[in-house]
Amino acid sequence: MTDGDACSVCDALARARAGDTAAFAALVRQHQRAVYSLALRMLSDRHKAEDLAQEVFIRLHRKLATVQSDTHLRFWLRQVTSRLAIDRLRREPRHELVPITEDLPLASEPAPGDPLLQRQLRVLIAQLPPAARAVVLLRYQEDLDPTEIARTLEMPINTVKSHLKRSLEQLRERITGAADATASGRDATPL
Amino acid sequence: MSNDLEKELRAALRHVDPAPGFASRVSARIDSERHGRWLPARYRWIPAALAASVMLCLIAGYGWHWRREQQGLEARQQLLEALRLTGEKLDVAYRGVQDVSKSPASGNAGNT
Amino acid sequence: MLRLLFMTMLPLAASAVVRAADAQLMLPDFHALEAKANESVNVTLDSSLLAMAARFLDPNKPEDAAARQVIAGLTGIYVRSFTFDSDFAYPKEEVDGVRKQLSAPGWQRLVEVHSRKDHNDVDVYIRVDRNRANGLAIIASEPRQFTIVNIVGSIDLQRLHELEGHFGIPQLKLDEKK
Repeated sequence: MTDGDACSVCDALARARAGDTAAFAALVRQHQRAVYSLALRMLSDRHKAEDLAQEVFIRLHRKLATVQSDTHLRFWLRQVTSRLAIDRLRREPRHELVPITEDLPLASEPAPGDPLLQRQLRVLIAQLPPAARAVVLLRYQEDLDPTEIARTLEMPINTVKSHLKRSLEQLRERITGAADATASGRDATPL
Repeated sequence: MSNDLEKELRAALRHVDPAPGFASRVSARIDSERHGRWLPARYRWIPAALAASVMLCLIAGYGWHWRREQQGLEARQQLLEALRLTGEKLDVAYRGVQDVSKSPASGNAGNT
Repeated sequence: MLRLLFMTMLPLAASAVVRAADAQLMLPDFHALEAKANESVNVTLDSSLLAMAARFLDPNKPEDAAARQVIAGLTGIYVRSFTFDSDFAYPKEEVDGVRKQLSAPGWQRLVEVHSRKDHNDVDVYIRVDRNRANGLAIIASEPRQFTIVNIVGSIDLQRLHELEGHFGIPQLKLDEKK
């Protein structure tokens, strides 16, 4: 972010706090991708993700006076999105998770690497327990380090590390197991 | 392997856009909240119904109190009338007793 | 032991209830007479209505204060009085039916006045229990009027005496024996 960009963000925040609705809308547009993506990958449902993302910004509007900076704003958005998503997942009855289908909007640029593997990974992440899922997403989607994840989720750092380690092992096993099954001609492990 | 997996994870989890008009939808919800419509439309009848119930209770309570007062005043009137009649008839009995006791041939006709 | 106590008390309690109930007369339904009468007075004051009336008595008014003293201890006041345009327009049998109830045990005729000249009859009955009156009945008949008064409860004859000057109640020389 350039100095000019930083200035314009701080400006928008200050103006939004002063009641400028256009400035607040600009903040929403600036952060909606991150909030929506986190909600989508936590809840595995577009409509629920939209609803949750709207809720997050409505709460932001109420609490705007407490947000001190853009860094604080990003931290606040991630924290509230993760917390609301975990709460909603825990309230839902346990059922077979429906994997995200490929008709969902994808990132605007084609991702490097293996699209099929990436699709597999998204499905496997959607099967993780809520807290572990939030840790993985904050790590690899939001690019936070374990300390920042611990602060965001208000979780002990060792718990964060433990979630990360176990989740990666599970993902690796499942992907490896699927790859081995394909190589040997057996039916692939159901995703 | 681990680095490859993490690379693939980051690629798999790139940000995606919400449906178009997301910011407008958020603004619309905030606007409706700001204009004091804190109740969803289907619940907006509740405050008016509550106010009407309170008024009805007050009117009924006042009506009950007024009726009780009227009943009490009526009971007082009836009591005074009953005592007046009682006194009147006792007076007749008394005069009858007096008359008998004064008559020279006083028998037991008036007294028992 | 408790059972024995209960079995002893029950008849006593029952008799007290019976005694109170006996002091209240079964008054006929006079609706037909009411329609024929020129004037009618129909008073039915049970204990709750007496209590309600008492709340509305003004202690500063002598009449109200006297009434309050009389009704203390009473459980009912019942009055039926009808005045007609013509002589003996009321059925004598109805009045006699009430008089018959007063020949039941417990009731004593205190005063019986018959005036042949103007056909005014007044009978005053009392129910006495342990030197205390718990019922008063007055049956008064004139050619164009009859009145039945039934007072139930603890009647203080002394208080009745002291009401002289209020409501026209005379000082009665009462003989508590028949």
